[in-house]
Amino acid sequence: MAEPIIKVRGLHKYFGPLHVIRGVDLEVMPGEVVVIIGPSGGGKSTFLRCLNLLEQPSAGTIEIEEIRIDADRPPSAYRHYIRPLRMRVGMVFQHFNLFPHMTALENIIEAPITVKKMPREEAIAKAEQLLEWVGLSAKRDEYPSRLSGGQQQRVAIARALAMEPKIMLFDEPTSALDPELIAEVIEVMERLANEGMTMVVVTHEIHFARDVADRVIFMDSGQWAEMGPPEEIFTRPKEERTRQFLSHILRGGQAARR
Amino acid sequence: MDKVSCPDKPTEGNRLPGLEMLSALPKTVRFPLAMVALTALLSLLYAVSYFAGSPLRLQVTSAVQDIAVHPGASLLAAAVQDGTVRLWDTDDWTMRTLAGPGNPVLRVEFTPDGRTLVGVCTDGTIFLWDVPTGRIIQTLPEGEPVRDASLSADGTLLAVLGESGVIRLWDVELGAVFREVPAGESPRRAVALNAEGTLLAVGEGKRILIREVEGSRPPRVLQGYWRNAAAQEGWEGHTGEVIALAFSPDGRLLASGGSDTLLIFWDLEDGMVAGTTEAHWAPVVRVTFNQDGTSFLSGSQDAKALNGRPASQNVINYEGHLGTVTGVAFGREPTVLYTAGDDGTVRSWETVNRSQTHMVWTRVGLAPLWGEIFAWWMLGSGLLGLFFLWAMCRMRGWGHLLAMSLYLLGILLLLVPILTAFLLPLVGVRSYTLPWELGLRVTWPLIVATVWYGGLIALLTRESVALCYEAPQGLPLAEQLMAVRRTHRVRFGIFVAAVWLTILLVLYSVLKGFNLNVPFMGHFFEFIMTGAGITLWLSAASISLAVVLALIGALGRLSNNPVLNGIAGFYVSLIRGTPLLVQLYIWYLGLPRLNITLPAELAGVLALGVNYGAYMTEIFRAGIQAIGKGQHEAAQALGMTAAQTFRRIVLPQAFRIVIPPIGNEFIAMMKDSALVSVFSVWELTYRAQKIGRQYFRSIETFLIAAAFYWVLTVVFQFLQGKLEEYMARSERR
Repeated sequence: MAEPIIKVRGLHKYFGPLHVIRGVDLEVMPGEVVVIIGPSGGGKSTFLRCLNLLEQPSAGTIEIEEIRIDADRPPSAYRHYIRPLRMRVGMVFQHFNLFPHMTALENIIEAPITVKKMPREEAIAKAEQLLEWVGLSAKRDEYPSRLSGGQQQRVAIARALAMEPKIMLFDEPTSALDPELIAEVIEVMERLANEGMTMVVVTHEIHFARDVADRVIFMDSGQWAEMGPPEEIFTRPKEERTRQFLSHILRGGQAARR
Repeated sequence: MDKVSCPDKPTEGNRLPGLEMLSALPKTVRFPLAMVALTALLSLLYAVSYFAGSPLRLQVTSAVQDIAVHPGASLLAAAVQDGTVRLWDTDDWTMRTLAGPGNPVLRVEFTPDGRTLVGVCTDGTIFLWDVPTGRIIQTLPEGEPVRDASLSADGTLLAVLGESGVIRLWDVELGAVFREVPAGESPRRAVALNAEGTLLAVGEGKRILIREVEGSRPPRVLQGYWRNAAAQEGWEGHTGEVIALAFSPDGRLLASGGSDTLLIFWDLEDGMVAGTTEAHWAPVVRVTFNQDGTSFLSGSQDAKALNGRPASQNVINYEGHLGTVTGVAFGREPTVLYTAGDDGTVRSWETVNRSQTHMVWTRVGLAPLWGEIFAWWMLGSGLLGLFFLWAMCRMRGWGHLLAMSLYLLGILLLLVPILTAFLLPLVGVRSYTLPWELGLRVTWPLIVATVWYGGLIALLTRESVALCYEAPQGLPLAEQLMAVRRTHRVRFGIFVAAVWLTILLVLYSVLKGFNLNVPFMGHFFEFIMTGAGITLWLSAASISLAVVLALIGALGRLSNNPVLNGIAGFYVSLIRGTPLLVQLYIWYLGLPRLNITLPAELAGVLALGVNYGAYMTEIFRAGIQAIGKGQHEAAQALGMTAAQTFRRIVLPQAFRIVIPPIGNEFIAMMKDSALVSVFSVWELTYRAQKIGRQYFRSIETFLIAAAFYWVLTVVFQFLQGKLEEYMARSERR
């Protein structure tokens, strides 16, 4: 049996006195798609950001491939592992965070050139492939301000993929989008999942979770409240909190669709 | 499909294409077009009638060529361009008109007994009027056209300078020429007789010839000399044609006015220059002395009269005429002066308060200059109007805009005389305010024209009319909207430009009140301008230094390292806490004490750069902080180091944010570089200061400097706009 690509053990995160993540464990297999749902303030985003060390975990260990971050030791001990780790983990943000002073293409080639020292021509060729893959070849030389939210998010996905990560983290990638633009981003994410990318996704898109996820985690108050295959979570949730949350979400979703 | 048939499509057959077009135009447009057509036709009609000399033209005063004061009674005589002589009673300013020959009268003079008035016409005829009855008692035969004439103080001798340069000496009582002085080498412009009628002064080119009236000795020549002949320094004398001459009553001084704007007093005993007055800035056309020779009065094309002691530098300006001051005379009371100008007015001044006390017109109306300009304007407006009409009939947007600009310009042009009559005294120009009803009588045609033009503009800018032109038919809706937006902007720009022009006009009038020496400004313009290069160089070098310092400073201020943070904080605090001028002195005076001697320019660059660097540190800091946390995170999530993030992501965006404030700082620095003049760097201000102090004309030189700073600023604002546009290319939607 294959080794898990992500191993998280006993992860804790404090913001001052605030205990945001209360000791969670997670193992993700290569090619697995894990969707984390849960009420806001439950620590989903923080957990995701701990995974590529945009937040420094307060305690616990994170292992991604052969890189091991031991948060129980002082940060200076693992300082040198941060960038190698980030190069293996791509991240897509809620607010896209494209670089506004660069065109779509420049956004994508920026990191390969500056970080990986990839030759420019090669980076451009790869970026053009990626743009085509996300369906935005025509927007190659547009600045982000001239792109719709959905297009920006697709460029952001292409930008993350340009670094050839092993794992992709999605932090509510569709929350800042107009409803009619969500589908195009979801479609790209589905294709990515089908191509075998390991993904950890924080989202409220129940449909995505149901159709694509291998495993759904319900997170509340900094802990895993419930974890299991999507059909189980969505059809027979064990926990009362999960049931409540799902009924809220589904009702809201129906309201939005109506 | 979006091509709608154009109204200007040639129609088949030879039917009137113009009418065809008109009927195709929208209804809202037809009325304004008719008004434009009417305006153009009326303008042309007026212009034609003006140049044909029809009585329909606007009332225009006739220029006065000369004035004379009656020796006994309170009478003032004026030689008028329309061929009459006017006599005013200076007590109640009632006017009598002495019918003249019809040819413009050039000179008038009373005989000492006050019974006879001698007038010389430009065609050469000499008339003698009987003053009490106003009848012509004698007409002396016509010679050649006349340039100048002078009557001796005893009234017996009249010298007339003809166009050919020949001077005829008339015995007035006999009515006969008793001597002719043949023409000289150069053209002659001025002639004067002394009080006794024994000496004749002739302005011949730049020289002045003094001849005896009776004798046959060769003339004395006054032609200027070098004060230091060896070094050829300090020219005393005229450098332009002599066009006005007058003997002092005691015959010891000769005053000469030249086209070089100088008024020179010659000592006739030794032929040396007793004094030079440079207060006129245009050719001096008339000069006279008072009865005891203690005071002179001169008139010039600069519309000023000057009064003062001969050969002294202390002179008083009398301003108010709208054109050349052609006639000057002292009143019988020592405190009264009279002047007359080719604006058709005669004015009296009193010397105690140095103010104008009265003004009369040869005929109430516009100054001749304005009459002329108005007629030419009408001609141009008529012709251009027809052209615009054609363009507007074809629904051309530019025709519409150009017509609007033309009529706006018309309003501005008309505004000048109206302002002069009513409002300019309010903004400090020393001019005589007209009573309202008199002002109205003079300017009502202009006011009517202004209102007419204003109405026309209001008509042309009406939404319904403007839209017809600004949203051309037959284009897709989106392009129509674009066109509307664009032409709206142009229209707005036209109006803004009109406002600017108005303000400049008022500013110009105020500057005229400064009594500027324009030729002086022209002469030193180039020298002061040369400093602009140094100013630019200084500013560019300083701003470069400042940007580097500011970047380092901003990094320091944002740094978590206490040492760097402290250094940057101290730098900003110290430099922002002390005045730039004081810093400049400290750099300039302090460095030599450390045995560091820097060229003045370099010290200036250092001082300015360090100073502005401190201010710009804060700008850069704000710019860097304005870049959102998301950008840092996105870059870090891609594996970029902090340095890479800063260089590739944060800095370019921060730069875009700080470009406008940096542009501001650069413009401010360009002007603060003036302070470097304390180091004796030969930049703009220093040159202006030097020249100004040397010639006591600081206001002139500083105005040149100010104008150039302004021009530089405008240019850089433009460039800054372009740069911002470029930097904002990613923001465009």
